[in-house]
Amino acid sequence: MKKIKFLLIAIISLTISYQSFAQNDISPSRKKAIDSLAMEKIRDLSKYISIIGSKETPFSEAKRVIDRTLELFVEDAQMGVSSLHRDEVKYYPIREYLERLMLLNYDQVTIKWYNIQYISDLELQPDGRYVGVITIYQRFEGTTDDGMIYMDTTKKDITIYVERKQTQIGGKLIGFWDVLLGDVRVVETMK
Amino acid sequence: MRYFLICFLLVSSTSLFTYAQSIGEFMGDERALYAETKQINQFIRRFNGEEDIKGERLYIKDKDYHNRKLRKKYLDILFNLKNNLLTDELKETFIDKVLDKKNPIYINFHGGDWFAEVRTIFKYHGKEQTVILFLELQEERVGSKWVITNVYFKPFIDVLDSPDTSEYNDKKFLHPLSHELGFMNLFRIFNDPDSIELYTVNEFKPDYLSIFLFEIKNNRLIFKTVAKVKFHFFQINGWYFELNYFNRTGYNTGWLISNLMQINKTNKEILMKYIYHE
Amino acid sequence: MKITSKYSLLIFLAIIISLGFEGCKSKKNVARQVAATEYAQKVKKAKRDLQAILNDDGRMSIEEKEKILNKTKALNLNEPEVLMMIREAEDMIAKEKAEAERKRKEKDKEAASKIKLSNSEMLDLYFNQIASASSVELANQKIIDVLQMFASSGIPVLIIISQEGGITDYDKPTTIGKYLNYLKDQKKNINAIENIGYDNNGKIIELELIKK
Repeated sequence: MKKIKFLLIAIISLTISYQSFAQNDISPSRKKAIDSLAMEKIRDLSKYISIIGSKETPFSEAKRVIDRTLELFVEDAQMGVSSLHRDEVKYYPIREYLERLMLLNYDQVTIKWYNIQYISDLELQPDGRYVGVITIYQRFEGTTDDGMIYMDTTKKDITIYVERKQTQIGGKLIGFWDVLLGDVRVVETMK
Repeated sequence: MRYFLICFLLVSSTSLFTYAQSIGEFMGDERALYAETKQINQFIRRFNGEEDIKGERLYIKDKDYHNRKLRKKYLDILFNLKNNLLTDELKETFIDKVLDKKNPIYINFHGGDWFAEVRTIFKYHGKEQTVILFLELQEERVGSKWVITNVYFKPFIDVLDSPDTSEYNDKKFLHPLSHELGFMNLFRIFNDPDSIELYTVNEFKPDYLSIFLFEIKNNRLIFKTVAKVKFHFFQINGWYFELNYFNRTGYNTGWLISNLMQINKTNKEILMKYIYHE
Repeated sequence: MKITSKYSLLIFLAIIISLGFEGCKSKKNVARQVAATEYAQKVKKAKRDLQAILNDDGRMSIEEKEKILNKTKALNLNEPEVLMMIREAEDMIAKEKAEAERKRKEKDKEAASKIKLSNSEMLDLYFNQIASASSVELANQKIIDVLQMFASSGIPVLIIISQEGGITDYDKPTTIGKYLNYLKDQKKNINAIENIGYDNNGKIIELELIKK
């Protein structure tokens, strides 16, 4: 009798957990919309970086844009950078990275995108949020006053956190995807 | 296989061409980036035939999902082709097994039997030293997470792995009537810590992960950075392969199979011990 | 004939007698009679006026009707028939008023929707101008201009990213102030205007966009 009871509980709990899992599945077309939303945030980030890096941007504007850039990220996100010659990762908090960029004062900053990207599956993590990684390739060119050009080509693996949220706006219940960027791994590449 | 690579690059270059016309800012030759297996996620998709040759994700409802021909083409280029130890014969045996018509084999991110080996740098006694961490994916009530299963740190091994047997030590034990003396003879053990293991149970095995945590919590081990990652796959019965990231020029780059072995139960154990440095 | 003349003679005599015997009393009676006649006339006119209201085929304006009704009511005629008619007229005017109000609202709505259409076009134009402004200063000026159309810079902006099986997925809600700066910084206008909500002053209080 006890055994049956146990089995029953086990089956019920199994179906419950299965159901909750099934609910968490995102259809391919919705996933695509989330992917493109996340890609847009990454494009936004790259644009912000070129504004912050450019000497033409007034200090107050650059400060404002840094704040906007940080809004794209979760708190405490880090850039982990490694070069061709050293595998070891050097860490920069995002704000520090942006502020350095602002102070570098390149005459001009160009970020060129390679038209190749890879978007991973979204995986559910224990806190109920989804996590994914988007890989992009970019070429950074910074020209200084004296004509020096700093240039690198990097592969960037960018963490994205995706969370379904709801909010009330004008009496209407709005379901939205909160997409935030997380840690960014930057690897210098040969390409 | 070479034919596929050409085909693959041809398709990618034409699709890039159309892009290049519409969006002027993008760069020229991106075929190498296209060919690169950019994430483990992509390795799994290519291995299983869940990505078409244009790089588009395939879903169950798609015609080519898990298509055998597509998989064959991908599998051929998922190896590090610059490794002479990976013989064509071995690769073919492996591919034949994976693409068995009746019983094809797919790898599964959540399927277990694979783990990561991460080379990290810690500061210990004022010196930067390498610590190797082993991690595996653990399924949780909701979602999953990577957890540390094991650690290899040479200073720990040096101290704990081999008891001093330089002097023959048939005298190194606590005699059976020690209890009658209230174990006053324990002093003998602790005055000679080198061979302290001889006074423990036969099954004693040092737990390096516990020591690792202990040293970290006591602020003696301080994390610096991550240096290198690789993955060990035991998910396919009778086989082992290792995944490494190849950051180099050309079209055979990214996450590739760098080591492949046919294994039985016995040599699986030996191999595991080798990987864990036991 | 004879009988009538006899009767009239009798009445005449009676009047003479009554006049002869009760002089002051007879004066009052005349006044009362005059008042009665006046009252009868008032009632008659009230009925005629009220009937005119009730019978109106649209030639009379509501205001005219109300004016007449109020005048009639001010007479305070305590005649059941008049009171009845007043109530009927009141009902009728109320109905006509409601109808007129409905028509007016409809007209306003129509006009408002015309404004909406052009507002949406105007907004999109502004968005494009901000995104393609040649300088930050120019973009900032445009932002100030376009904010005039909004109740405040904190007005929420919703962006639809997908609609599938009755589920609408949005991007994280933002505000118009932030969104305009976003256009300025990113130099791209990738969302189309889907819906605009207004307050009583015709200012925008809600904006819904959709990914183009």
